[in-house]
Amino acid sequence: MNKALRNPMTYAFFMLPVLVLYVLFFIYPMIDAFAKGFTKWNGIGTPTFNGLKNFDKALSDDNFWHSVKNNCYFILFSVFVQVPIIVFLSLLISNVKKLKGLYKTAVFIPSVMSTAVVGILWSFIYEPDIGLFNVILTKIGLNPVMWLSEPKSAMISILITNAWQWTGFYIVMVLAAILSIPREIDEAAVIDGANGFQRAIRITMPLIMPIISVVIMLSIAGAMKAADIVIVMTKGGPGGATDVMATYMIKYGITNVKYGYGNAIAVLIFVFTLILTALYQLLIARRSERVEY
Amino acid sequence: MTIRSMKKSVSHIILLVYLIAILYPFLFVLFSSIKSDNQEIASNPFGLPSSFHFENYREAWVNAKISVYFFNSLYIATLCSIATILIASLAAFAITRMRYWKLSKGMFQFILIGMLIPGNALLLPIYILLKDTSILGTHLALIIPYTAGAIPFTVIILSAFMRSIPGELEEASVMDGLSAEGIFAKIILPITVPALVTVFIVNFIGNWNEFLMANYFISTDELRTLPVGMVGFRDIYNTNYAQMSAGIVYSIVPVMIIYGVLQKQIIEGLTAGSVKG
Repeated sequence: MNKALRNPMTYAFFMLPVLVLYVLFFIYPMIDAFAKGFTKWNGIGTPTFNGLKNFDKALSDDNFWHSVKNNCYFILFSVFVQVPIIVFLSLLISNVKKLKGLYKTAVFIPSVMSTAVVGILWSFIYEPDIGLFNVILTKIGLNPVMWLSEPKSAMISILITNAWQWTGFYIVMVLAAILSIPREIDEAAVIDGANGFQRAIRITMPLIMPIISVVIMLSIAGAMKAADIVIVMTKGGPGGATDVMATYMIKYGITNVKYGYGNAIAVLIFVFTLILTALYQLLIARRSERVEY
Repeated sequence: MTIRSMKKSVSHIILLVYLIAILYPFLFVLFSSIKSDNQEIASNPFGLPSSFHFENYREAWVNAKISVYFFNSLYIATLCSIATILIASLAAFAITRMRYWKLSKGMFQFILIGMLIPGNALLLPIYILLKDTSILGTHLALIIPYTAGAIPFTVIILSAFMRSIPGELEEASVMDGLSAEGIFAKIILPITVPALVTVFIVNFIGNWNEFLMANYFISTDELRTLPVGMVGFRDIYNTNYAQMSAGIVYSIVPVMIIYGVLQKQIIEGLTAGSVKG
C-alpha cells in the first residue's frame, strides 16, 4: 500500500511543475518588489539602495493619496450601495415563482463579459454627444454632462459601470443561499403570523449573513483589483482624478520606467490589502458565524 | 386583484426594470451597429434604424483585425487553462493522495499564501522578470503568467475534490499492482472530471477576459488578445460609433453563445470558485 504512494521521486515529479511556477510568479515577484522598493532604479544599470525615500515620496504625494481615496470609494460604493441592492433584489427574486430562471440567467450576463468590453460599451453610453445618457438628458431638456472628462463625475461613472458588471454575480450567490434555507423555517413563521417583511428581516437576513459577509469580502478584493476598468474608461484621467493605486503604480513603474518607485507602490498595495483583510476579519467575519441547518 | 398578487406584480416590475438596465446596453450597441453613422445614433437612440447597414460588420472585421485577436485569445486561453489543470492536478494528487501527510500539509499552506497576494501588486515585478528574461513582448509573456496565476485557485479546488474520494479505491488498485502514476491517471483523474470541467471554465473565462497583463506585456498589434485589441480599435475608430458597435458585437457574441450553452456550469463554477478562492 504505502510503497506505491510513498515514492519520493514520484512525489517530487508531481509537485515540481507547480512549485517552480508558483515560486517564480508569486513568491519571487513579491520578494523582488520588497527588495527593489528600497532602491532607485530606472531599468538601466543596477538598482541603488535609497532607504525609505520611495515610501516617503509616495506618502507625501497628494496624487498617491488621491488614488488610495479612489480605492476606498470603490470599497464604500460596493459595501453601502451595491450590497443593499444585491440583498434587496435577491429577496425579490427568491419570492417570485415565475421567471426566476430568466432573472438569474440574465443578471449574470455582464459578469462573464471582459471588463475591457464592458468599459468600451459604457464609454459609448457616456459619450458626450451621442451617448445614451446625454441624448436622454437633452431630450428631457436638461444640460448634458461630460461624464468621463469631468473630474467630478468621472469616478462615479466608473463606479456605476463596475456595479453594473458585478451586481448580478453577487445576486446569484446570495440567491443560492436564500434558496438553500429549508422551507419549514419559513412556513413555521407564516403559521406564527409573520408577514413577508418580518420574515425577510427576522429569518432570511440572519440566515444569509455569512454569505453577505463573503460578498463584502469579495467586493473589497474586487475593489483592490479594479484597475482594468479605469485604464479602459479614463486611463486614470482627467488629470489623475480616477487613478487607483494600481494605475498609479503602472503610470510610474511601467509607463515612466521608474522601477524602484513603482515597486515601492506595489509594496504599499500589498500592505494596504493586508490591512483591509485584517480589518475585515476583525469587524465582519468574526460576527457572522456559519449556520448549520 | 388581491393584495398578494399585487405584491407579486410590484416585485416583477422592479425586477423587470433591473433586467432592462442590464440588457438594454447590449441592445443599444446592437441597434447602433447597423445604423449609418453617429448622426443617426444620436437622433434615434432607442429604435431600429430606417435601413440596416450591415457593412459596418464587414468594415469592423477588416479594420479591427478581429479574426487575429480572436484566434490569439482562443489559443492562449485554451492552452493556459489546460496547462494549469495538468500541473495542478498532479500537485493536488500528490498533496491529497500520496503518503507524505506532513509535507503535503505544508505545501498546501504554502500555495494558499498565493490567494492572499493581491494580483495587482505583482504586475510590475512580473513585468520586470519577463523583461530580464527577454520573454516580454512575445506570447510566452502571457502564457507563462496565466498558467502560473491560476495555480493557487486550481490546486485548492482540485485538492478539495480529490480529498473527498474514498481511500478504498486506490487500496484496491495498489493490490492490483498499479503505481502512483497509474492510480493518478487511471483511477483518480477520471473521477475528478467534474471538478476539472469547473476549473477549466473558470480559468478559461479568466484568461479570455484578462486585460492588464495583455495590455502591458504585449506591444505588437498582431500578438494582441481580443480585449486589448478591442480597446486599441476603440482608440483609433472612436469617431465612428456604428463601426465600433459592430466590433463590440463581435467580441460579445461568442461569449454569449458559450454562456447560453454552458450557463449552469459557468454560474456554478464562477460563484463556487470565488467563495473557495
